[in-house]
Amino acid sequence: MKRANWAAWLIVLLGALFFLLPIYGTLDFSLRAQKGVLSLKAYELVFADAKFLETFTFSVQRATLTIVFSLLLIVPTAYWVHLKLPQWRPVIEFITLLPFVIPAVVLVFGLIRTYSRPPLALTGSPATTDLLLVGGYIVITLPYMYRAVDAGLRALDVRALTEAAQSLGAGWPAILLRVVFPNLRGAVISGALITFATVIGELILAVFLARPAFGPYMAQLGNFRAYEPAALAIISYALTWASLALIDVFARGSRDASQAAAVR
Amino acid sequence: MAFLELTHIHKAFGGAAAVQDFSLTVERGEFVSFLGPSGCGKTTVLRMIAGFETPTAGQITVNGRDLTAVPPNRRNIGMVFQSYALFPNMTAAGNIGFGLTVAGRPRAEIDRRVRAMLELVRLSDFAGRYPYQLSGGQQQRVALARALAIQPELLLLDEPLSALDAKVRAEVRGEIRRIQRELGITTVFVTHDQEEAMSISDRVVVMNKGAIEQVATPFEVYNYPRTAFVASFVGTLNRLACTVVDAAAGTVRHNGAVFATPAPLERPAGAGVVLMLRPEELRLGEAGGENRLPGVVTSVQFLGAIVRVQLQHGETPITLDLFNERQLRLPEVGQAYTISFPPHACWVMAPNGHGPSDDHP
Repeated sequence: MKRANWAAWLIVLLGALFFLLPIYGTLDFSLRAQKGVLSLKAYELVFADAKFLETFTFSVQRATLTIVFSLLLIVPTAYWVHLKLPQWRPVIEFITLLPFVIPAVVLVFGLIRTYSRPPLALTGSPATTDLLLVGGYIVITLPYMYRAVDAGLRALDVRALTEAAQSLGAGWPAILLRVVFPNLRGAVISGALITFATVIGELILAVFLARPAFGPYMAQLGNFRAYEPAALAIISYALTWASLALIDVFARGSRDASQAAAVR
Repeated sequence: MAFLELTHIHKAFGGAAAVQDFSLTVERGEFVSFLGPSGCGKTTVLRMIAGFETPTAGQITVNGRDLTAVPPNRRNIGMVFQSYALFPNMTAAGNIGFGLTVAGRPRAEIDRRVRAMLELVRLSDFAGRYPYQLSGGQQQRVALARALAIQPELLLLDEPLSALDAKVRAEVRGEIRRIQRELGITTVFVTHDQEEAMSISDRVVVMNKGAIEQVATPFEVYNYPRTAFVASFVGTLNRLACTVVDAAAGTVRHNGAVFATPAPLERPAGAGVVLMLRPEELRLGEAGGENRLPGVVTSVQFLGAIVRVQLQHGETPITLDLFNERQLRLPEVGQAYTISFPPHACWVMAPNGHGPSDDHP
C-alpha cells in the first residue's frame, strides 16, 4: 500500500516536471531581457505593441464564432445520428477523424483553390476570407467537438427523452433547445474549451489566408526578437487559461441561476 | 362508438411480423392492460398508439379522430416510460410543466397546474428537486404527473413499475389506479407481470407472438382461459397428459386413474388430451371432490398466506396450494397423500394447446 502510494506520487511528479519545466524555462528566460537582473522589460515591450491586443482580440472573436457554428452544426447532426441512424455511427466517427489525417496546409490550399474563383470567390475581401477561416477552424476542431458531444449523448437516454418530449407536444426545435442542448452542457463546455485553445494558437490557416490572428503574430515576433516571444508565450498561456476559466465559470454560473430559478 | 379503436393493426419490422391483425376497442375511462411475454408485441402496439411507430396496415382512432398518420406531438396522448425518461436538466416542477410550457400556456396557468399535479401524486414538497435527487418511486410519480399535466385524452403506461423494487411497485401501482379512477382517464398499461395486470385492470389483453390470445376481465382470464397459452401464462398450472375414456360422459384417464370433467368432450375415446388444474383447486385428503390421485410430497414452501406443496404422482409433478391458518399442520416431505379435486376444477385442452377448453361456454 505504502509502496504503491510512493510510486503513484513519483509518476505524478514526473508528469508535472514534463509539463511544468518547459513553462518554467520560458518564464525564467522571459524575465532576463535586461542583463544580470530579473525584470519585466520583455512584458512591457509586448504590451506596448498595439498589434498584440489587436491580434488577440481578433482570434478570440473568431474562436467564439467557431464554437457557436460548430455547435449548431454538430449537436443536431450527432443527435440525429444517435436517434435515427445509429448504424451510421462508425462512418460518421471516421469522417470526423479526417482532419487529423489531412494536414492543415492541404486544407488551406484546398480552400484557397476552391474559393478564390467564381462562382464562390470568397478570398477577395477580409469579411468573406474570415468565413473561410472560421470554416477551416470548424473542420480542424471537428474531431474534438464531435467526440465531446458524442460522449455526452451516449450518457443520455436520447431516444426515451425525445419520445417523452414528443408525447408532451414538443416539436424538433423545442426538443433540441429545451432538452438536448441543456443536457449536453458539460459535453458542450469541454468541446468549447478545447476548440478555443486550438483556435487561439492556430498558425497555418491564418498565415495562408493572410488574416491578422494571434498565432501568426507570435510566430512573426519569434523571428525577430529573443525575449519578447518568451514573454508573449507566458502571456498567451495566462490569457488562454483565463478564457477557459471564464467559459467554465460562465457556464457553471448560468446552471446555478437556472437551478435557482427552478427551485424558487 | 368506443373511445379507442384499433382496427386490424399489422406491424412488420423488415420481414418479421411483430403485430398481426390486432383489433381492440377500449371504452372511455377504462383501464386495459396488455399482458404477454417479452417480444409478444405489446409494447409495439402501445408505441403505435403513441405514434412512435407507424402501423404497416390498419387504423387507430381516439374519440372518433383517425390518428394513424398524426405525429406523436400532435396526438395529445400522455405516456409514462419504463425508464421514467425525466428531463435531467429540469426540476420535478419543470418536468411536469414542460408540456404546458412548450404549448405556450400562460405562466400562471402552468404554475397552478403543476401545483395541482404535484398534489395529485403527493409530491408537493419535492417541486424543486432534480430527478437525481428523487427515489425511483418518486421519479415515476413525477413522470405520471408530467404525462397527466397536458390533460391527455389517453394515458399510456409502458411497464412503468418494472424498474421499482417490490414494495414501491405495489405502492405506485395503487397510486396509478387511484389517480386513474379519480380522473376517469382512459388508460392502456403494458406489463409482462400477470399479477400486476390482474390487480390493476378492468380488462386484460393477453398477447403472444404478435397476436391477441384473449381479451377479458382478470377473473375470466384467470378462471376461463381461452387458449393453453393464456392458461399457462397466467398463474401456475398442473398439466396431466390424459386419454379420453368416454367423450359423452366427459371422463378421462391418467396413469390408471379416471377423472370426471364437467362437460362432454369434443374428442373421441382414446384421443390424447391435456387436463389442466390450478394449484388452489386441489385438496390434500379426500374432501376436495370425487376425482382422486395419490402423490408423495417432495417440497413444502411456506409463502405466508399460502403454503405451496409440491408432490410427485408417478412421473408427473403436481403443485398444490393450501391456505395458511394457525392450526395448519404442514405436510412433511416424503409423506404420501391422496389429492382430490372436483370435476368443475378440470379444464380439458387438445394436446397441441390450440383448442379451446370444453368446460365452459
